[in-house]
Amino acid sequence: MCFKNLPIDFDDRGNAFLKENVANPYEYKVVELDKEQDKLKDLLAKNGFIKNVDYDPVTRVAGALAFHSVVDLQNKKILSTNSMATLFRGYEVILKGRDPRDAAYISSRACGVCGGVHATTAALAIEMALGIAPPPLGVAMRNILLAIEYLYDHPLHLFLLSGPDYSEELVRETNPELVEAAGKTASRFGHIHGYATILDIMKDLNPLKGKLYLEALSMTRVAREAYVAIGGKYPHPQSVVPGGLSVTVTISTLNEVYHHLIRFFDYGQKVTAIWDDIFDFFLEQNPAYSDCGVRPANMADTGVWDMPGVYDASYANCDKWGEARWSTPGVTVNGEVVTTNLQQLNVGLEEFVEHSYYEKWDGHRFKTDPLGNPLSPHHPWNKDTIPKPGKQSWRDRYSWDTAPTWDRLPMEAGAYSRLYVTSKAQKMPASRFLEATGYSMKMQVPAHKLPEAQLEWRVPSKWNAFERNRARAYCIPYSALVALENWLLAQQMIREGKTAVSTPFEIPKKGTFIGVGAWGAGRGFLTHHLVIENGVIGNYQIITPSTLNAAPRTPWGALGPYEEAVMNTPLLEQFSSFEKFQGIDILRAIRSFDPCMPCTTHIMDNNSTHVVTREVTTCACGLE
Amino acid sequence: MLVGWNKKTLVGTIGYHNLSNHSIAPMLIEQIRALEWAANVEIEEMNWGPIAIVQWFESLKVPFERVVLFTATERPGRNIADMTIFRWGGGLPGDRMVQACVGDAATGVISPVSLLIIGEYFKIWPEEVYIADVEPGPERPGPELTPEVKQKVPDYFRILGEVCQDGYPCNHFLYGDKILES
Repeated sequence: MCFKNLPIDFDDRGNAFLKENVANPYEYKVVELDKEQDKLKDLLAKNGFIKNVDYDPVTRVAGALAFHSVVDLQNKKILSTNSMATLFRGYEVILKGRDPRDAAYISSRACGVCGGVHATTAALAIEMALGIAPPPLGVAMRNILLAIEYLYDHPLHLFLLSGPDYSEELVRETNPELVEAAGKTASRFGHIHGYATILDIMKDLNPLKGKLYLEALSMTRVAREAYVAIGGKYPHPQSVVPGGLSVTVTISTLNEVYHHLIRFFDYGQKVTAIWDDIFDFFLEQNPAYSDCGVRPANMADTGVWDMPGVYDASYANCDKWGEARWSTPGVTVNGEVVTTNLQQLNVGLEEFVEHSYYEKWDGHRFKTDPLGNPLSPHHPWNKDTIPKPGKQSWRDRYSWDTAPTWDRLPMEAGAYSRLYVTSKAQKMPASRFLEATGYSMKMQVPAHKLPEAQLEWRVPSKWNAFERNRARAYCIPYSALVALENWLLAQQMIREGKTAVSTPFEIPKKGTFIGVGAWGAGRGFLTHHLVIENGVIGNYQIITPSTLNAAPRTPWGALGPYEEAVMNTPLLEQFSSFEKFQGIDILRAIRSFDPCMPCTTHIMDNNSTHVVTREVTTCACGLE
Repeated sequence: MLVGWNKKTLVGTIGYHNLSNHSIAPMLIEQIRALEWAANVEIEEMNWGPIAIVQWFESLKVPFERVVLFTATERPGRNIADMTIFRWGGGLPGDRMVQACVGDAATGVISPVSLLIIGEYFKIWPEEVYIADVEPGPERPGPELTPEVKQKVPDYFRILGEVCQDGYPCNHFLYGDKILES
């Protein structure tokens, strides 16, 4: 039974139904935050060592995230946290009333890094709504394209955004004792990455100058070059369309992709070795680091990379094609997989706006999904985005992000979630390169310049900032190997003359059609819920990974994932006076989620000079 | 007739779309391209990211000898539609600011300042870099230029042509260690 909090049960045939005799099945209690805030105000007034610590913006993530905490600097404890998405995104508003075919192109602009995943998720939503099954080669090429997008995204985060937190320069400022120890600690994987000591690695993590930093910049180029061979351009691909791809794929295309892809075999080995060494060092030097960013492993993931020939786009079969993905969709609660079923994932979703700058919406149009499973009035298919800008208040509303939940639990998302769920669920298809063992993922990395190697990512016993980043590093070889698996399939298809990459379709002028695109962004979970009404988009709702991760409190007072992770973080930084406190542990906890970044877009009424908003957050996501 | 003279020259446009005068560069790029240029002048839209631009410059077999960036920036003391030609004087802000520019660049933010600073950091700029910078006035939405800017478009084209020639006299300098305040 996957639901513990929503009153949903299942019959003998596995069909969901609402439990009987529950007067208002989707009712919830709203907890007032006044008492908590009054107490904090009192503590702040009476104790000089209790301080407000604010990051606005949180750097090396985006300009769109701000974070507020109340910190006891004497006892080195965090007393309160608030995560704030500071900009309005508004794609839901922009897309209403448009031709559904526009969704892939417009929603792609939701992010300056992961445009391709938004375009693909939009395509999937339309495919489901209208029953369009792409041909196998279209599916395989889409898999390769999006695996490559992750190969841009993960090095970027690991070395440019999060990496500096572990560099010699920054660690020397906050924990000089670690730098000294690092100089005396031999690395374990020097035979792979070439560094003798941990300090040698830390020096090359230094921003702008370190070789690892600069190498990551150059690897982003390798990924982009492979990407444009399929997508036409980056970050907003031109070739992703409902029904497949609008690009001719030949053996030459595949060769061009392969030429770039193989570089990630060695790079995957190197990156995992680098981060294993760094994180093991921190955790061994001070086991308290295992509480940095710790929270229960409550994760949601949509899965990604469809099996050609199995994916048919239908909601009726989505459990089957979802579980056939190379990354298994699913939910973990306290580290245990409670479902790998896309319908259950969808049915359990809700969004709440009590602490967000939105009006609550009325109505409960879709009481069930297309198969009769019950849906909450707070489900994305029932949601209406009604912006309500207002004053920031920790007692009331403080974010443009909503509070999404699954089974009433705040969920976190990330590249790591796909590795976590897939490893534990053991549902992934048989693979030449990958094996999910139930407690780990084994990856057989082919030789390039480095010899062939088997890597193994193990499900950690504690879910913290270090493990998020470690798993993200392992997602580099994981993504590269899925791309390789699909590359081999695509070659075979072309040899057999199965060269179709798209399925033609028409948008019906009449009628209501609904679909949900569920695909992973570089940062994990991504859904686009679509309602087509008489040929145009009637409703469009996007939940991004940072919508989940950056969420404010739920109406019943549960903290969002950033908020919870920072609340549990010990302050291990050394500071000689309160004024010198930098909050590196707080920042490590936040950055471990890979908060996404802003792109700018505009909502403009062409017949007036009225701008709804100028800079709009994006994928980050996070913003609603 | 507009001609580039002896040096291999890049004219690059930078700016967001749909922001009226602030979008003058992307709005005019096709007209700029259609002007008559010497064979050694290339016109490029340069919104596609400073990191990618650095990598492009690094891969060039024959490097550019002159770069002219066409953009719009609000600066105090100018009238709307004024165009100033600045010469890039080099210099860098502190490492943290450079890192912030890289962070913005890697995540899709379009900014001439980030491009100049990142280009300087990675030493891609030739000796001659000019910024042809139009005063757009307060930001407003829209796909059209305001009349006072529209009226001056032929002047902008003429000046761009002049900047692409040898010996353009330029008395205004921008420095990387001060650009964020200028």
